[in-house]
Amino acid sequence: MTTIAMGEMEQLRKEADNLKDQITAARKAMQDTTLQEAAASINVVGRVQLKTRKTLRGHLAKIYAMHWSTDSKLCVSASQDGKLIVWDSITTNKVNAIPLKSSWVMTCAYAPSGNLVACGGLDNMCSIYNLKGKDGNVKVMRELAAHTGYLSCCRFLSDSEIITSSGDCTCVLWDIETGTQKTIFAGHQGDCMSLAVSPDFKFFISGACDFTAKLWDIREGTCRQTFGGHESDINAIGFFPNGNAVITGSDDASCKLYDLRADQELITYQDSSIMCGVTSLAPSLSGRLLLAGYDDFNVNIWDTLKAERVGVLAGHDNRVSCIGVSSDGMACCTGSWDSFLKIWN
Amino acid sequence: MSVKMGSSSTSVIQAQKLVDQLRVEATMERFKISLTATDLVRYCQEHKRSDPLITGIAASSNPFKDKKSCVLL
Repeated sequence: MTTIAMGEMEQLRKEADNLKDQITAARKAMQDTTLQEAAASINVVGRVQLKTRKTLRGHLAKIYAMHWSTDSKLCVSASQDGKLIVWDSITTNKVNAIPLKSSWVMTCAYAPSGNLVACGGLDNMCSIYNLKGKDGNVKVMRELAAHTGYLSCCRFLSDSEIITSSGDCTCVLWDIETGTQKTIFAGHQGDCMSLAVSPDFKFFISGACDFTAKLWDIREGTCRQTFGGHESDINAIGFFPNGNAVITGSDDASCKLYDLRADQELITYQDSSIMCGVTSLAPSLSGRLLLAGYDDFNVNIWDTLKAERVGVLAGHDNRVSCIGVSSDGMACCTGSWDSFLKIWN
Repeated sequence: MSVKMGSSSTSVIQAQKLVDQLRVEATMERFKISLTATDLVRYCQEHKRSDPLITGIAASSNPFKDKKSCVLL
């Protein structure tokens, strides 16, 4: 490096450190109380005991992802047996069994309209399937290719737009019609592992292997906030139902709640007896419960305001890889490496 | 020579991007936790009664619970 460049680097490093200190101080200035104090007068939620109501059998290999349809009845799951299955969770019937070109699938998503599903993985692509094609056959509608790393997660904004996160450290907003990238969200210093869209569809959050979560403005294409604190990869991320907080799950065995308006972590969900990574998470309808899937085959249910464990879902014979609570809050679905999905309530 | 210049200017560009991003994040308007935490608590309390996983679901209104039919012997 030239002497001039070294001088510039040193100056930029000082500016960066200065700004980081400013942010730390600004966050500290908001700490007039804690979430624990604000929830002091509230009792811990009573023990939550959910039962397995349905077991969805049909996949022949590890399930990596699942996503509920907005109708709270249908859901889609992706397995490395090379299939995407759309299930009627009430009858347990398979509505569609879609064979994939690449079996190395890591994520799947259901469009809010119910018309489309998407998936992707080690093929670095996001494939969009039309469930409501004229002749009744489910076909690939679009293959969104541009990422230079695996597809870790995808979420539809509508039938015409989808957001993807990738092992290439970026997230992308795609125009499904033209198959082109509308916006590239760059900034993470590690593989992006998970993303979630805000209830008002204006923002999305991403969790990455750089141990941070970032809040992005979808239309501006900018990163608004960055949250640190985790000591390992963030594998799962979700919005608190009112859109004002974000929950992350990490390989460091903890989940954290970050408040968007105070711009900082408010509470950590961890227990000394839990030593394995969090793979997936979903809040309940009110946000009071956090259901988190772990590498030790269990799902722990946390009281989000008191940070106490109030329940366990034990029923899988292998890692719980994905979890989702239906839109009407009536059921929780877990997917596992044991090849089964279970519906609980 | 040009390769070295290339890599050093890339590092400088990256460092500048980081500084620019930090500047954006530093200037956001933040709100006191007393306000934001209270809102979180209030939201939970207001929606607790309509959260099926907390209140429980009556067997008759649980679409996932198999309904057992009565058999007259």
